[in-house]
Amino acid sequence: MPKLIIDNREITVPEGTKVIEAAERLGIMIPRFCYHPALGSVGACRVCAVKCLEGPRKGIQMSCMIDAQDGMKVSTTDAEAVDFRKHVIEWLMLHHPHDCPVCDEGGHCLLQDLTVSGGQGVRRYQGPKRTHTDQHLGPLVAHEMNRCIQCYRCVRYYQEFTGYEDLGVMQIGSRVYYGRFRPGTLESPFSGNLIDICPTGVYTDKPSRYRGRRWDFERRPAVCLHCSLGCHVTVSARYREVVRQEARFSESVNGHFICDRGRYGFPYVNLPERPRSARVDGTETGWEAALKIAGERLESAAWKTGPQGIAVVGSARCGLETQGMLKRLADAKGWRGPVFDIDPAAANVRTAVSRLDSDLRVSLREIETADCIVVVSADPLNESPMLAPALRQARRNGARVAVIDPRPASLPFQFDHFPVAPDDLAAAMAILIRKCADKEPLSELGKTAVRSLRGVSDGADIPDADGLAALYDDLHDSRRPVIVCGTHTAPPEIPGMAADLALLLRIAGPRAGLFYVMPGPNSFGAALLSDPALSFGDLVSSIEEGETKALVVAESDLFGSGIDWDRLQNALNKLELLVTLDYIDSQTTRAARILIPTLTAYETPSLSINNEGRVQQSPAAFRGGDPIARTGGGEHPPRAFRRDIPGREMGAAWTALPTLGGRNPGSAPVNLTAWLGDAHPALTSLPESSDFPPDGVRLPLAENAGERFQTDRFSHGEKEEDALTLLVADSTFGTEELSSLSPILKELTPSPCIQIHPEDAAEFDLSTGDAVRIDTGAGTAVLPVQTTDRIARRVLVIPRHRDLDDRLPRERRTVLSKTAIRKATEDA
Amino acid sequence: MEKLTFEGLQQRQKALSEKAASAHVSQLLICGGTGCHATGSIKVIDAIREEIRKQGLTDKYEVVETGCNGFCAMGPILVVHPEGVFYQKLKADDVPTLVQEHLIDGKHVEKLLYKDPNTKKRIPLQDDIPFFSHQMPRVLRNKGLIDPESIDDYIRRDGYQGTAKALLEMAPEEIIAEVKTSGLRGRGGAGFPTGLKWEFASKSPSEVKFVLCNADEGDPGAFMDRSILEADPHAVIEGMIIAAKAINAHQGYVYARTEYPLAIKRLQKAIDDARAMGLMGENILGSGFDFELEIYQGAGAFVCGEETALMRSIEGKRGMPRPRPPFPAHKGLWEKPTILNNVESFANVAQIILNGGEWYASVGTEKSKGTKVFAISGDVNNIGLVEVPMGASLRGIVYDVGGGIPKKKKFKAVQLGGPSGGCIPEQYLDTPVDYDEIVKVGAIMGSGGVIVMDEDTCMVDMARFFMDFIQDESCGKCTPCREGTRRFLQLLEKICDGKGELADIDALEEMAVVIKETALCGLGQTAANPVLSTLRYFRDEYEAHVLEKRCPAKRCVNLLKFEVDPDKCTACGMCFKACPADAVIWKKKEKAVIDKEKCVKCLTCFAKCKFDAIN
Repeated sequence: MPKLIIDNREITVPEGTKVIEAAERLGIMIPRFCYHPALGSVGACRVCAVKCLEGPRKGIQMSCMIDAQDGMKVSTTDAEAVDFRKHVIEWLMLHHPHDCPVCDEGGHCLLQDLTVSGGQGVRRYQGPKRTHTDQHLGPLVAHEMNRCIQCYRCVRYYQEFTGYEDLGVMQIGSRVYYGRFRPGTLESPFSGNLIDICPTGVYTDKPSRYRGRRWDFERRPAVCLHCSLGCHVTVSARYREVVRQEARFSESVNGHFICDRGRYGFPYVNLPERPRSARVDGTETGWEAALKIAGERLESAAWKTGPQGIAVVGSARCGLETQGMLKRLADAKGWRGPVFDIDPAAANVRTAVSRLDSDLRVSLREIETADCIVVVSADPLNESPMLAPALRQARRNGARVAVIDPRPASLPFQFDHFPVAPDDLAAAMAILIRKCADKEPLSELGKTAVRSLRGVSDGADIPDADGLAALYDDLHDSRRPVIVCGTHTAPPEIPGMAADLALLLRIAGPRAGLFYVMPGPNSFGAALLSDPALSFGDLVSSIEEGETKALVVAESDLFGSGIDWDRLQNALNKLELLVTLDYIDSQTTRAARILIPTLTAYETPSLSINNEGRVQQSPAAFRGGDPIARTGGGEHPPRAFRRDIPGREMGAAWTALPTLGGRNPGSAPVNLTAWLGDAHPALTSLPESSDFPPDGVRLPLAENAGERFQTDRFSHGEKEEDALTLLVADSTFGTEELSSLSPILKELTPSPCIQIHPEDAAEFDLSTGDAVRIDTGAGTAVLPVQTTDRIARRVLVIPRHRDLDDRLPRERRTVLSKTAIRKATEDA
Repeated sequence: MEKLTFEGLQQRQKALSEKAASAHVSQLLICGGTGCHATGSIKVIDAIREEIRKQGLTDKYEVVETGCNGFCAMGPILVVHPEGVFYQKLKADDVPTLVQEHLIDGKHVEKLLYKDPNTKKRIPLQDDIPFFSHQMPRVLRNKGLIDPESIDDYIRRDGYQGTAKALLEMAPEEIIAEVKTSGLRGRGGAGFPTGLKWEFASKSPSEVKFVLCNADEGDPGAFMDRSILEADPHAVIEGMIIAAKAINAHQGYVYARTEYPLAIKRLQKAIDDARAMGLMGENILGSGFDFELEIYQGAGAFVCGEETALMRSIEGKRGMPRPRPPFPAHKGLWEKPTILNNVESFANVAQIILNGGEWYASVGTEKSKGTKVFAISGDVNNIGLVEVPMGASLRGIVYDVGGGIPKKKKFKAVQLGGPSGGCIPEQYLDTPVDYDEIVKVGAIMGSGGVIVMDEDTCMVDMARFFMDFIQDESCGKCTPCREGTRRFLQLLEKICDGKGELADIDALEEMAVVIKETALCGLGQTAANPVLSTLRYFRDEYEAHVLEKRCPAKRCVNLLKFEVDPDKCTACGMCFKACPADAVIWKKKEKAVIDKEKCVKCLTCFAKCKFDAIN
């Protein structure tokens, strides 16, 4: 651990720390443009010059290029160093346009800050400025090359960090140009980070252009709700609308970056169709009044049918408070539920939550340090996009990454894909588990692990079974293997098998880790708090049978779940009372007898639990209310002065729910953490909101449950010969409920198609571009075909897409007979 | 072809030299370097072949297309071997006379012989021509004597003997020791001791190492590496094999620019021939040592001659330098220990191994041993490729080898080291060719480009030229080089345009220090040198531009009036005849007047006027 002195202050830093980082630890911000902690040093901009007074190096040095070493004495304020930096800034400003007043970066521009703080205020250069032609880079990122100071951050981020090649650097000397070979939409689903990473205004946020300066915004930290990873974002709101989101650094979760789904998924908050006033029987009613009416009607329903005639439904996008309050309400009133498992993958999530031992789980950032990663039944880029760059960093550090999944996996780095059919996934995992149990002297434990595999085939007929066996050897030889397991489309035994494998590896020696990917932002909370005895399918049946008469649905669109719409509509029609609380306009809110609009997680503090059991807190970014664009009719803000915020009488769902309990809703929750502890013991010791650590708290989960191997046996019904399996899969854009409402992402959402292996396609006389008519059991869809040999045989993949919600089966995996598919000819 | 063993190589060499000694065949050595190709040597070769066939002389004369002869200004060149008669500036039309008079009648063709510009005498023999007699060919020992595309020609002249010795008789440490003894320093210009570089790489632990040859010659006015590759490609290959053995590498790359098609073609043929003969590839000469060599063609970016950028380029990435350390000897190409040497450095190695390091070190100065190849160009009579011993004076290169300044103009300065170098004025012309001595007078040895400038050269304009080159060729990675050189250029242009102020000269000096200290690679760190060295010796010219708005050398067009001085004008009419824009008004016996409306400021009249009458 080298000890050095920077500006007369001593600091000891780990070996390999750059001087610029060491200074940062002392709170000394050495100017920098090209250096970025996520991208490392390249020594291009030369603005981080410091003077080494004593030690192994002397004189002017670039602080991003030199390792901190014992005996170094560094001055950042030495006159010579200051003078050098001043010159560099002068050079950088030679061609930079003085368009700060109209530049969206103005006010939070690193170049602006350093120019001012560097004291270089005079322009000595008299010649013309260099100019470039800008490119259209798609709907997200605006390009303004004239402002470029050639720090290379964008290409290093785009190509090296995330592995996309379509944005690069061209030309040399003063003609250096960053952009695409041809104008066009950026291919990376992480392109928005260019905006954050550019130290000046070359890449700016296109959707929020000219919407405000940084100091105009209400800016608050938040947690992204567009997948289960819980990445950290910063929200900017203005005029009662969310205007922009940026990545926020998180040591444990997302590092410095976020995906475009997370960045641009927010417009559901601002949509004109968002319900903003309560409705009772189709009539607008005050919020409090509507709640009161709902409470009374529920009470009378309970009086008529008994408390069991009322059920409560939530979802994985509910905050933890709402989920907890639903449970509290159901428990207090004797109502049925709560049901959160709108998604059929909920059973998998429950298994995952129960198997995610504290000593096995790894965070997203920890994946970057793994040296062998097996991804099973997951599609990182489409399900949890930020997992893909994390895997890529591991790969860049030399890790082997293997994906065992039927879908045509695509990742921005080199990896091994085992396209195993869903029914063979268990056998594929069994190959790894059996080899592990065989290889290691695991005694009883190994036997226990293998016991549950009875009945699972030896996998000899799986394509590339030998490759899987060889994969085990790599797992065994690695220091830090990680098993990543999906829950969206996985057969029910897979999450448990993934845990078994991780557990065996851990016992065998390497520090194995386990990482589950879950379908919704708060699936973890849903799994902890839902009533395991009641599934959504059961609930619909009980409505049909007249047992359930009233339903309270909090922040959940029942129709988004892919259940047969006619059946669901009929069931809802049978209800005596449907109370819906939500902040988006959906079929469920439209079907509601009583509609209670609620606040989004941007407008109220909220907790959520990410896929690794990390409880994270988002404070309110702004106080909600009708956007000024709405109250002002699109014109200038109204001049009339009022004390209250229009449209702000609504509250968060969880504050509304106690009132629905009627006259005696139970004691109002005074201490949030205390009552969440009542809802589930794992939530007992959550810190007060003011003490919440930046990276949240990881829930205490079962420690070292070394003997908890999977004991359940799973049997699959006999499959019809020639049958095909339809997988309803996630897509980066267009699947996730809230972001699919975003107009910004519309252009990036691919229109749905059906993917199939070319040899299977040939059987139906299909090739890429043909249209196929498919009867999914839930409806008939006509879709274009895309053949790919990276997909498992006898598998069809269709993205879960808003346009197809009414025609796709509720189950993520459905067996289809051959007759369900035929080529759609023009006459048909 | 059969793979040669050590014995096989010796037998082949013996047989070839016996055959050459016994044959009663004269060789007509015609220069086939790029320079002579450009002046038409291919046509001359065809004509000679045809004429010899017609005259029935094919049994007595063998026509050989050699690599660069060196005396490029005189091309196309024919040397009749073995007597050594030198014919210059041949045209296809001269061939029948030449064949008739020299080959049949046995007389020298007087008008095609070299004429000394000072004594005006014809000199028949190549060895008597001062251009050649002052040289010491070691690297260029085969130039103009062998067919570069014939491996047998090379073997006959002790080719691959150095390789054989190194692979079969020497341990890697012995090779390195020999090279260290020789005192060979990097001929790319920086002069790092070659043996030391090899020693670092040999001590870097790695299974995989690389040997790279830098043939990305990019300095304006430099063509040494190209000429060596065109004239004697096997010498470079040999050097690389020996280096590979010294550091235990098995793969090499020659990084050559695509603009050198002839050099690449000949080198590729040499590699293929060597491989076919077992002098490359697996188990070379039965020694058990394997080495493969490939040519990697660069697109011609100047910066790719910088070692780290060159390696990035071979890796298929954008050729941009990275800061050192780590040095390539530890982490080079694909992060593996790598040595990179210049073409000329490698071409020296086989001779060092064969004749010993002490033999090599017997020539030169205390710290600079052996010989150095230079490409002389500019305002000098004998433009060409020369090799002189270290320690020879620059004056000797300019006046003895180079034959002095044409048209009796006055010498002004010599520019060494290209855009990274500097200029050396008259008063330091006795500086010896020595890495350290040249640095003392503000230039660098460089890779060997020597540009001679006469009194008509404006030094500010010359600095501007080099700065234009540098800012154009900057890779654009680091700010000082990318923006600083551009700012340099802008200031120099301002001065050349007559808009300069004294503060601009101060700004140049101030910025030069910052660029030198903060630029990332050698290209940027040395970018200010042409400015600094011209300021050092020719500050008066800068001041004349700035204070008097006058260009003493009359090169900066915006400072010229384009007026005829009636006192000096002799009414000769030369300017009138030369003006391409009909801007000179002149009648016989009347003094000329320039019509400024029509004048395009092309400077033709300045060049034509013998009386310095135009301002």
